[in-house]
Amino acid sequence: MSSDDPRNRQYTNGEITVFWKPSKCIHATTCFRELIEVFNPGRRPWVNMNGAPTRRIIEVVNKCPTQALEWKYNRDLSESEIRDIGELNTVEVTPETLTGTEKDLKTVKVEILKDGPIIVKGNFKVIGPQGNEIKSMHMTSFCRCGGSKSMPFCDGTHRKIKFSEND
Amino acid sequence: MEKQNATLKALSNGPLEITGKFTITDSSGKEIAGKGPVYLCRCGGSKNKPFCDGTHNVNGFSG
Repeated sequence: MSSDDPRNRQYTNGEITVFWKPSKCIHATTCFRELIEVFNPGRRPWVNMNGAPTRRIIEVVNKCPTQALEWKYNRDLSESEIRDIGELNTVEVTPETLTGTEKDLKTVKVEILKDGPIIVKGNFKVIGPQGNEIKSMHMTSFCRCGGSKSMPFCDGTHRKIKFSEND
Repeated sequence: MEKQNATLKALSNGPLEITGKFTITDSSGKEIAGKGPVYLCRCGGSKNKPFCDGTHNVNGFSG
């Protein structure tokens, strides 16, 4: 169960709490491309809740293509649920330190997520709609709902528009 | 320069074309394709998801 994962972390600014579940991270890198002031994998702790206004943090967390990052208002949490990560007795996992094995894959793995994006892992290159080579990478996620603002990549819009693969 | 096993091409206003050495698994973990080229729906409108069925031509998909 990922909710019991000892690597899970949570961070609060007093108003909201951001929950981080490494097991669900697909390295879309949306969080730190959008808001490095808050989500900086090179720093410990890697989430700095004082780096931007609450509204902006919510905006970027909502763009996470999976539920690796989620948020809740503290007023909707019980007192025992509201805590900052505090003591770091284990090494904190970030989207960057999770990467590593993908580049060793002999075959590219394409995974369709239920009601979500297309995840690609391995050694591959991406060519954009204009025929331009975007970049070579080891992991990314492609929009499948048609609604992303960062085409061809996923930006989390599928959750906002309630994309269903059965429609 | 490390070798790339597959190429993923987002066709203009169309599907995602996958060629090379790859496997595709669906949302239940079942392997559904392993030989290219394969065209995956990007517009959200295909009736044959995850594959393209040409719906992007009629729903005005842009991207």
